[in-house]
Amino acid sequence: MVGELLRRLHFLLTYRRRARELEAEMAVHRELAALDGSERPFGNELRLREEARDAWGWTWIDRTLQDLRFAARTLRRSPGFTVVAVLMLALGLGANIAAFGFFNLMVLRPLPVRDPATLVRLERRAPGAYAATLPYPEMAFVRSHVRSLSAVLAIASSGLHPDGDSRALTAHFVTDNFFEELGTELVVGRGLDARDARPGAEPVAVLAYGFWQRRYGADSTVLGGTLRLDGRPTTIIGVAVPRFAGLSLESPDVWLPIERQPHYIAGSALLTDYAGTAQGVQVFGRLRPHVTPAVAEEELRSLAAVLRQEHPQAIWEGEWLRASPGGFATGLMNVGRRGTGPEPPNELLAIFGLLGALVALILVTACANLGGLLLARSVAREREMAIRIAVGAGRGRLLRQLLTESLVLALLGSAAGLVGGYWVLRGLMTLSDTPPWLDPMPDWRVVIFAIAMSWAAALLFGLTPALQTARLRPRPTAVREILIAVQVAASGVLLILASLLVRGVVHASTIDPGFEVQRVLSMNPELRAHGYAPPRARAFLDSLTERLKGVPGVASVSVATQAPIGRGTVTMGIEVEGRPLAILVNHVGHEFFDTMRMPILAGRSFVPDDARVLIVSDAFARRVWPGRDPIGRQLDLGPDSAGRPVPFTVVGVVRSASLPNPKAPDALEAYFPIERDDWPAMVMLVRTSAPIGGMAEAIAGAVRAIDPSLFPAIESLASGLERRVQSTTYIALSVGALGVCALGLACLGIVGLVTYAVAQRTTEIGIRMALGASPSHVLSILTGRFVGPVLVGLVAGIAGAALLSQLLRGELFGVSPLDPVTYVACAALFLLVAAAATLVPARRALKLDPLVALRHD
Amino acid sequence: MPKLDMPQGALALLILRVLRSGPLHGYAIAQRIHALSSDVLRVEEGALYPALQRILLKGWATAEWSTSETNRQVRSYRLTSAGRKQLELEMSAYERVTQAIQAVLRTA
Repeated sequence: MVGELLRRLHFLLTYRRRARELEAEMAVHRELAALDGSERPFGNELRLREEARDAWGWTWIDRTLQDLRFAARTLRRSPGFTVVAVLMLALGLGANIAAFGFFNLMVLRPLPVRDPATLVRLERRAPGAYAATLPYPEMAFVRSHVRSLSAVLAIASSGLHPDGDSRALTAHFVTDNFFEELGTELVVGRGLDARDARPGAEPVAVLAYGFWQRRYGADSTVLGGTLRLDGRPTTIIGVAVPRFAGLSLESPDVWLPIERQPHYIAGSALLTDYAGTAQGVQVFGRLRPHVTPAVAEEELRSLAAVLRQEHPQAIWEGEWLRASPGGFATGLMNVGRRGTGPEPPNELLAIFGLLGALVALILVTACANLGGLLLARSVAREREMAIRIAVGAGRGRLLRQLLTESLVLALLGSAAGLVGGYWVLRGLMTLSDTPPWLDPMPDWRVVIFAIAMSWAAALLFGLTPALQTARLRPRPTAVREILIAVQVAASGVLLILASLLVRGVVHASTIDPGFEVQRVLSMNPELRAHGYAPPRARAFLDSLTERLKGVPGVASVSVATQAPIGRGTVTMGIEVEGRPLAILVNHVGHEFFDTMRMPILAGRSFVPDDARVLIVSDAFARRVWPGRDPIGRQLDLGPDSAGRPVPFTVVGVVRSASLPNPKAPDALEAYFPIERDDWPAMVMLVRTSAPIGGMAEAIAGAVRAIDPSLFPAIESLASGLERRVQSTTYIALSVGALGVCALGLACLGIVGLVTYAVAQRTTEIGIRMALGASPSHVLSILTGRFVGPVLVGLVAGIAGAALLSQLLRGELFGVSPLDPVTYVACAALFLLVAAAATLVPARRALKLDPLVALRHD
Repeated sequence: MPKLDMPQGALALLILRVLRSGPLHGYAIAQRIHALSSDVLRVEEGALYPALQRILLKGWATAEWSTSETNRQVRSYRLTSAGRKQLELEMSAYERVTQAIQAVLRTA
């Protein structure tokens, strides 16, 4: 068997010579037969030779090459059609390739670090609680006891101010094995190692490539030099290569040894604090060979149980550490998540689901449109097909020929889409400021995807027209009507979703988010990170408040644990009257609602020294107690540390405000008075009576006057909101572009169909007009057939949009996914455009001279 | 007597058999079969050359160009040892089948 296979291959390699030999041999045969005087053999020599070659089993290559050559010739002969078809496919396939490229970057492609497959990310889990970070001492305990992991890595992120720069840079405090474990290469110098972790070691830093370029102009003499961070001198020992990912989606500027963290952040208790509420560390582990994550999780569960005996307050009951793949970009997301109750689902899945659906829709539109074009061409090629059948081409062969043509088109479109998709992805990534090591250049997975998609597309748009052209399937108009309905449906979905997003963006930038944005600054002094105990934090904030109230232009000052439009959120899972609810928790000072200008709708605001009370948002009240008075109701928020239930009483209802995330306005908010332990976590909010300019410096000055070791991050709420809106703007722009393209395609499809119908029925129209049919009657005959498909497509599109828009809820800034204005406007626009697309070519029919029309054909 | 066409499969057997006595070119193979069957079996070009190509592919014969008595470039086929083995195999199989068929024809 193997011998035969090898010979077969050898026959392929010597194909030309063997074909020549066969031809010569058969010629001799004929010659000899003729000499013998027996009758000369009949038959097509070419065919006989081909049949003999069939024995080699390679004729399919021959035929395919023939088909390809023929397809290339056919397409070259109609360059207009070819260009339009390739552009359409480039659009449809390019969108899919770009989307897959993004998916590949986030989920499939391993990080550019050593042996990414054995990296796991460790997160705290317990029944009813979750946190993305571990307290440093817990990490240290795990590191010294764990056997299933060969290494444990930790990262703590912080903003530090280099001298001469008011903007903070991002510093990652990392364990000393970080560079070695990840196999980091350095441009110059060395990475961090065990020497730098020893007590009393000189403070050192490794620079990120981008920071080195920006600040030092890529000067390698910087090695050994001193960089002052928050006033602390630090020796530069190395520069990492640009593609070093560093296990974070945030691009850090410097890496510092985690043991030195308190050196930079005065009073920090990061290294000793077990309390899970303090800033923790992100932890990664390296699995030992042949150890599965599940095995490691089992060991980590028992380690947590051991630790809980020593620290029952800090380690949760039933705590375990989840070990999820850490060597992929997805493994680096959700770094700030913590909370109680069930863990919120991963948003990324929904995003990819939506993205996949959107790009599939544009591909369907493009394919349906191209299918229509090919059908129109099939009419023009009837004569060619008839000739080819007459000279003996089988229908199977014709079908294969036509499909080869489609495949050539699809491959061309796919190649163009690969290039276009790369540029789109690159552009979007530059706009959205992704880390430099996420390289959008297509890798082998993307190329394979592109090829596979082109095959799928070729079948999708090529099969029906090919069947029809090869006369295996009648009723072309039914197929065309279905194609129109599909196009209208798909582009309708895209158009509606795009309009919803645009409305969301407009809504976010024009409509009041429920609280004062324009004149409020938030300032985070990060007291807990600086080791402030609650009484000291309270004293600090009180004196700062007094100081700020004396600053001219300051109208109101207050504090809260959650800055509006802040980065992280704290959700709490509770049960009210048997229903589980996820609520957003905020502990606020008694002047908070005044500072934020959030009106109290019922009951009262907080007063100093309130306890065991809460104020709920309007949405909360309506959801939990619909139609009933919420004031005076009691909520059980779980037992206190001694195990006794602690009821809280609702004292007021405040207008719903999309705090802290303006994208989720239907979140349920609950406000509590400040408890003793909250003080070090407070963010300060300052509302000014004058425009904000210059106020940030005044606030920073007031803070530094009390404690010069603090470097507060100050931001106006308006700019924070803008940042949030921006990401949605990009999405709206992309989807909008797709939607407009799809609408354009659908219009082209309708125009083509009507033009075709007019051409087909010219004689009939001529007769009708000669017999006195009115123009409107002729028009209604012509267009009547398309009203059905367009309406069916539109209804399907609206239904599809209603389903898919639920996934968009988080990006709509409070615009309902079923927003009637959007749906009605889109449907109207669509009908208008469809009517125009029908009437323009139909008008030609009305201008026909009946005599000319009758002579037609 | 009408000329019969060759049944499929049997052709390979006959080709191998006539090649056993020495190398032959394509036309000669056809002629030899024609003659040996007393002008009953007739091998058409359209069947002969595909069969020869299959035999080459199976490795039962090799082909080389030589000059014939009439001074023509012809391609002669020579049986390989694998071809000999195949011939034995097919002949014994053929024998068994014909005996079985005859037994049925005689007694039934």
